[in-house]
Amino acid sequence: MQRRPGWFIAGFLAPALLLYVGLVLFPLQQAVQISFFQWRGTSSVVKPAGTANYQQVVRDPVFYEALGNNAWMAVVVGLVVFAVAMLAAHALKKRDRPAKILDALVLVPMAVSSVVAALLWQFMFHPQMGPVPELQKMLGLGEFQSGWLATPATALPAVGVALAWLSIGFYVVLFGAGMQQIPGEVMESADMDGIPGWAKFWRITWPLLWTVRRTAVIYWFISVMNTFAIVYLMTKGGPDHRTEVMLTYLYITAVENSQYGYGSALAVVNLVLVLAISGLLMWLMRRDPAEARA
Amino acid sequence: MNRPFIWKLGIVSLAAVAAFGCAPVGTETSTGKPDPAGAGTAAPAADAKLAGNLEVQAFKGGFGIDFYEAALAEFGEKHPELKTKIEGDPRVWERLKPRMVAGDTPDLMFPGWGMDHWSLIADNQLMPLDAALDSPADGAEGTWRDQFLPDMLKIGQVDGKTYLLPLYVNLNGWWYDKAVFDKNGWKPPTNFAELKTLCAAVKAKGMAPITYQGKYPYYMIHGMLLPWAYSVGGADAMKAVQNLEPGAWKSDSMLQAAKMIVELRDLGYFQKGATAMSHTESQAEFVIGRAAMIPCGTWLYSEMKDNLTDKNQLTFFLPPPVEGGKGDPSALIVSIEPWMVPAKAKNPEAALAFYKYMTSPAKAAQFVSEKNTLTAIKGSESGIKLDVLRQPAALFAASKDAWAWQVRDWYKPLHTEIENALTSMLNGELTPEQFVERCEKAAEATRNDPNIAKRTL
Repeated sequence: MQRRPGWFIAGFLAPALLLYVGLVLFPLQQAVQISFFQWRGTSSVVKPAGTANYQQVVRDPVFYEALGNNAWMAVVVGLVVFAVAMLAAHALKKRDRPAKILDALVLVPMAVSSVVAALLWQFMFHPQMGPVPELQKMLGLGEFQSGWLATPATALPAVGVALAWLSIGFYVVLFGAGMQQIPGEVMESADMDGIPGWAKFWRITWPLLWTVRRTAVIYWFISVMNTFAIVYLMTKGGPDHRTEVMLTYLYITAVENSQYGYGSALAVVNLVLVLAISGLLMWLMRRDPAEARA
Repeated sequence: MNRPFIWKLGIVSLAAVAAFGCAPVGTETSTGKPDPAGAGTAAPAADAKLAGNLEVQAFKGGFGIDFYEAALAEFGEKHPELKTKIEGDPRVWERLKPRMVAGDTPDLMFPGWGMDHWSLIADNQLMPLDAALDSPADGAEGTWRDQFLPDMLKIGQVDGKTYLLPLYVNLNGWWYDKAVFDKNGWKPPTNFAELKTLCAAVKAKGMAPITYQGKYPYYMIHGMLLPWAYSVGGADAMKAVQNLEPGAWKSDSMLQAAKMIVELRDLGYFQKGATAMSHTESQAEFVIGRAAMIPCGTWLYSEMKDNLTDKNQLTFFLPPPVEGGKGDPSALIVSIEPWMVPAKAKNPEAALAFYKYMTSPAKAAQFVSEKNTLTAIKGSESGIKLDVLRQPAALFAASKDAWAWQVRDWYKPLHTEIENALTSMLNGELTPEQFVERCEKAAEATRNDPNIAKRTL
């Protein structure tokens, strides 16, 4: 008697599916539901609000500021992270002593939680004791009246530095793995042809890292949109929203200001934007340009 | 796997979600006014034997929960039929909020600063306690209400009904280190003009005159903006602000207070980088002697005591008022962290009897001596052991107006906006006029929002 494979497969998928439905889809559905109400979060009393919360999101200048900060981190910090990670991965290909030391240095931040990283970098920027302001004073550049983390022009870059420090290790590993995939013969024939280092990287390594680059871009974008702990602990979104990101804004709105309806609307809008932009990125990067040319 | 199978999987997931999601979120609507009919439970007579279960949940902060645990144990001995339980942690509100939503509440709770007490009141989640307050006190003459300082009870009242009860009271003021001041021949300032003179002397010595907890602007609001606005405009000006009256923020009092802050900044009297510092960072700067003064509540000593040396002589004083201002110079801002009985408590009689016991004069005095803080119970200052508490106690007793800044509890989004505007003003992005304009706009938005429950003093 032939057993239907479908039920067999479903049996194995059921636990994971259950967790997914219960821990991901269900809260999502609740968030959507709550976004159409006003809810203080301290009882089951709710007041229907129709689309009022969404209308408020569209009119809210802080929403746009938070989104802008997320975008800045995605693009500016992203470029820095990718550039440094790519260079580090390239340097680490040679398995000599300096490479091993660099390897350890670059991977240590990955082992550190974002909470610890936030405390560490808060100390780095401490106005009286931190190494960064000390260096600033030593270089004769004075000091900031409000400190790095509360001066409007420097707060977001400072948080960006902490985020970059935390993230680079992962991309070094990712790009390193990608570089490992490149067949040795390709690199050897490049050496035999006498192609110089930079051209070798740009013309051979770079195009062959296509799938890795695509993964990196999408993964980085999603992790920037998910940034919370680093910002909340270093600056709490301050000074005056200059470092506010979507997640800190919706957290403060819902949990600290008891506006769960509006917070849920922000969360749903955030989700839709992340899905839309990731979808767009995946569509834009759907075909390897090298293969397209071939 | 073939496509039809994946479709089936998708449909099953969505069906599961729909099934889960059909649980109603809640269908009652609220106008924000607490139930007018209920007057709450009267606490039983002192010698009545209580039975059943009593569950107490408490915030475990700087004062711990050991005092409450011991008190509950003593109380339990008097009522052998009563099964008692007490739990606490530093973020107890995170456990209590879902319980309040689900209706599975403890009998007595002290949820701490992370709980939105006034939303609980607006949602009819708390029991009015006036019947219990009017019952005889435990271990003293008169009613239970008589044991409390009346101004402290007012803070937890709406339309004459009491929902929140105080235990310990924090005063908001400034601190200086007497040892440092004596060494330099400085005296704590008694008005703003003296403050400026003192700051010049401190700055000349190479010390930062004033530091503050810039990352949390409510310290500067309680320590500078509000006391100075009160000093200029008097109690009526502050009442107008708290009642969201139109134009209250554009009054001379608020603008003057903002200008005073900016003046101190421009004279270089604020420690560099203070705006970025957390409470522990700036308080550490003060304690190690890099800054001469800091605005902080009376909890500062308890919070920093592990960092103090024998040389420190932390001393509390009131924010230096403006000379010739309308406001009474003895006025001070207090804050309470309240206890309350959920409306759905299963054993409110036991809850109130226990809290009555904890607020009896003997226990209150014991709290003062063990925890080094003031309480809202009359006569409890007899328990003061440490000198550091005598000055605040004297100022509290002599104060002609001990008031609370309730905007922070009543209108959280408004207060967040005030905090952000203050930070921008400190950074020079807003002038004092623009600062009060921005606060006025935020107050107007709050006033016009029908979804926010309005309170009046």
